[in-house]
Amino acid sequence: MPEYFDHSTRRGWKSLGIALALVVVALFLSLLPHEQQGPIRQAIRGTLLQPFISAQAELAARSGRAVDVPALRAERDSLSAVVAAQASLAEENRRLRALLGLLNRAPEGFIPAELLRVGTRGGESTFILNVGRDDGVTSSSPVIAAGGLIGVVWEVGRRSSQGIDWTHPEFRASAMTADGQTYGMVEPRRGRYREEDQLALRGTPFHVDVRPGTRVLTSGRGGVFPRGILLGTVVGIEDADTGWRKSYLIRPAVRPEAVTYVLVGIRDASELEDLSPLWTGSTTPMEDGAGGNR
Amino acid sequence: MKDGAGFWVFIGLLVIVHFFLHLTLGLDARAPDLLVVAVLLGARSLSGGAAAGLGFGLGLLEDAVSVAAFGAAAATFTIIAYLGARTRDLMVGDSLVFVFVYVFIGKWAQAAMYYGLAGGVRRGEPVEALLMNAPLQAIYAAAAGLVAVGIYRAVQR
Repeated sequence: MPEYFDHSTRRGWKSLGIALALVVVALFLSLLPHEQQGPIRQAIRGTLLQPFISAQAELAARSGRAVDVPALRAERDSLSAVVAAQASLAEENRRLRALLGLLNRAPEGFIPAELLRVGTRGGESTFILNVGRDDGVTSSSPVIAAGGLIGVVWEVGRRSSQGIDWTHPEFRASAMTADGQTYGMVEPRRGRYREEDQLALRGTPFHVDVRPGTRVLTSGRGGVFPRGILLGTVVGIEDADTGWRKSYLIRPAVRPEAVTYVLVGIRDASELEDLSPLWTGSTTPMEDGAGGNR
Repeated sequence: MKDGAGFWVFIGLLVIVHFFLHLTLGLDARAPDLLVVAVLLGARSLSGGAAAGLGFGLGLLEDAVSVAAFGAAAATFTIIAYLGARTRDLMVGDSLVFVFVYVFIGKWAQAAMYYGLAGGVRRGEPVEALLMNAPLQAIYAAAAGLVAVGIYRAVQR
């Protein structure tokens, strides 16, 4: 136990030296490349913080099991009726799709996962997934919800991984309008609060007008995101760079804070099919209030 | 307040509750920053170097789930922990008013430094972040610290 009053000059300098050295180490760590920071983060997350992360996964699983049983029963009955009525249609559809060489509606090359949110300082715009390298997840695996794109995996551990959602300042996605006529780059526009975050489509040609309500999807360029994942809907022009480019604000298809269950891509983006049929003819979750989980 | 193993169990519990609220329950600013409370209270019982070590260690724990600002919490916690330990040279006291003011200033200073180091993940204009959000966070942390110290003292009696 140290003396209450630390009058020793020597001891004082030593303490100051230790503190300065630790600050330098911390700043050095902050300047390390992302790939070299990863193992340190994973080591701490996999040991000291593992009980807290596992507890969150357990809580999420329990809350999923504790959903309203009568509501589920009603939903099941409705679905049963629909299925019974449409069984023959489904079979016919399957045969016709096979004849035309079309793939099934459910995306292949994706695995289901639970998305755990991080509530600590600096953890904003990031999430933890309960799947990892053993499940086939790689860094840069796309993460999608029923409503559209959530984000991308950055770090992969054996059984878990961490990623960034579209609100993260470093998120970028090559994008196109749903008709495939206009291409650009989507990046986040951070508001004062997380709820105000939006996306922006940048770099579209000046002579092309993208009308409000136009859907924006990933273009498949860049090798990270497969083609056709819904990003959002154009709400209006953000900026016009005189004579060259235009930027448009996009209302995001999915709010990351509203999502618990996601699909994670486990194949190279170029090997994945065009996913745009998944969102054809559906309303944006933001509009119907579903918040992304359908 | 500061002597004995019971005090360090109390500090440890603050850390556990902090991560339970922020990591397990996923609460962000809705839950108080008990980690800064633990660092500041613990620092008053340690020498400057040891306090800096405590701040660095706990900051690194916080940084482990931070993708974009890795090292920022470790650096800021190290600084406030060292300064917290040095406050014993300036003032003596364990009154609840002192604890409130001490945690309030410590948390405000930490939030301001973190804003400077956080880079792309910081949010809002500097004036708003430093003069509105940070003081509010500091009041919340100081109030939580006050409650925690009150509980600790009640258990000690």
